[in-house]
Amino acid sequence: MEFKDYYRTLGVARDASADDITAAYRKLARKFHPDVSKEKDAEARFKEIGEAGEVLRDPEKRAAYDSAGSQWARQQAAGGTPRGAGAQDFQPPPGWNAGFESSGRGGYDDGLGGADHSDFFEALFGRTRAGRGAPRPNAPTRGQDHHAKVMIDLGDAFRGAQRSISLRMPEFDDAGRGVMRERTLAINIPKGIREGQQLRLAGQGGPGPGSGPAGDLFLEIAFNPHPRFRVDGRDVYVDLPLAPWEAVLGASIGAATPDGDVELTIPPGSAAGRKLRLRGKGIPGDPAGDLYVVLAIALPPGESAKARAAYEAFASAFEFNPRAPLEGATP
Amino acid sequence: MSSHLTATLLDDATPMTLAELARACRAAEEQVHVWVVEGVLEPIGRSPHDRPPEWRFTGSALRRARLAVTLTRELEVNAPGVALALDLMDEIEALRAALKRTAR
Repeated sequence: MEFKDYYRTLGVARDASADDITAAYRKLARKFHPDVSKEKDAEARFKEIGEAGEVLRDPEKRAAYDSAGSQWARQQAAGGTPRGAGAQDFQPPPGWNAGFESSGRGGYDDGLGGADHSDFFEALFGRTRAGRGAPRPNAPTRGQDHHAKVMIDLGDAFRGAQRSISLRMPEFDDAGRGVMRERTLAINIPKGIREGQQLRLAGQGGPGPGSGPAGDLFLEIAFNPHPRFRVDGRDVYVDLPLAPWEAVLGASIGAATPDGDVELTIPPGSAAGRKLRLRGKGIPGDPAGDLYVVLAIALPPGESAKARAAYEAFASAFEFNPRAPLEGATP
Repeated sequence: MSSHLTATLLDDATPMTLAELARACRAAEEQVHVWVVEGVLEPIGRSPHDRPPEWRFTGSALRRARLAVTLTRELEVNAPGVALALDLMDEIEALRAALKRTAR
């Protein structure tokens, strides 16, 4: 097990004051909060920061950590552990942590039982059993509810689907040790599901200690990015490029929707950016969403002599100054 | 291991109770109650005389409640602060959605 330098995680000195530690912790926790952070690995960093903060901001835990750390440093200096691959190995000295029983964290427990903490943390402070209070080991209690995020395709929301999802779940074995279990579930994705909605799978959460019932599994739905369609709630957006004459003269054009191709009437005089709404062609439901076709105008390249001649004829046919609306607007 | 499972969509038709929501986000029921009072969470179809046991929540409340748990626990934000943070996050999300609608 590697010794974790919590001071380095928070970027503070070993003799930093409690205020300095709190300030550093808060700043990093905000920066890497997985729901707001755009940083890579925000979630992993956030956990590390949380763990470092939990230890260093608690005077008792900090003292315990410091004493374990200095013993480890002495051991390293004395060559007590063989150099090489094992040199980073950290084992807390036996019995060192008497009196450092974790008192839990003010009404909440960890997001995923004890699995939120690193092995290092657990070696030092013990594993906090999931669940508020401390149920007697054999008392039947309900298992923990588990959460996972599932990526599906937009088409699944249009037609409904059956999808296999793989989940890694922390579990406790008979000896009470946390182990990762991987499993595959085949689930029905109901037609009309939207991003951010939740599916509940009864009894698929954590097992109940004793003979208690299992918890539930909650799946938060998100869509895989689609190269063509953009989704906003129930509504779907798609770009449709037009030739200039199609936009000006109007046209009847085949356009792809998530539900298949449709024939679209482009009204004459359509400007770029105009949105055509196909009512009820968004994500199905009650009410169904709308499909918005956003018009864009693509210019044909003017590379050949023939094309250039056409553009020149085009220019001479109009007295057109596209910057006219800007004139007179003095800075 | 593979099994075929029927998932329940937590929408208006099959919402969660206060107790279910609290258990799913691992917060105390009293805490969820405070979040409702502070406007962090909004029960669906709530009429003023509804008692907390009659409150019902959709899956989006679960998502907000889980965010609220993290903000409360990791950042020690109080309930009005959580409400403010979630409102701002909603606004960011709406702006991102608007960007996405126009992005090429």
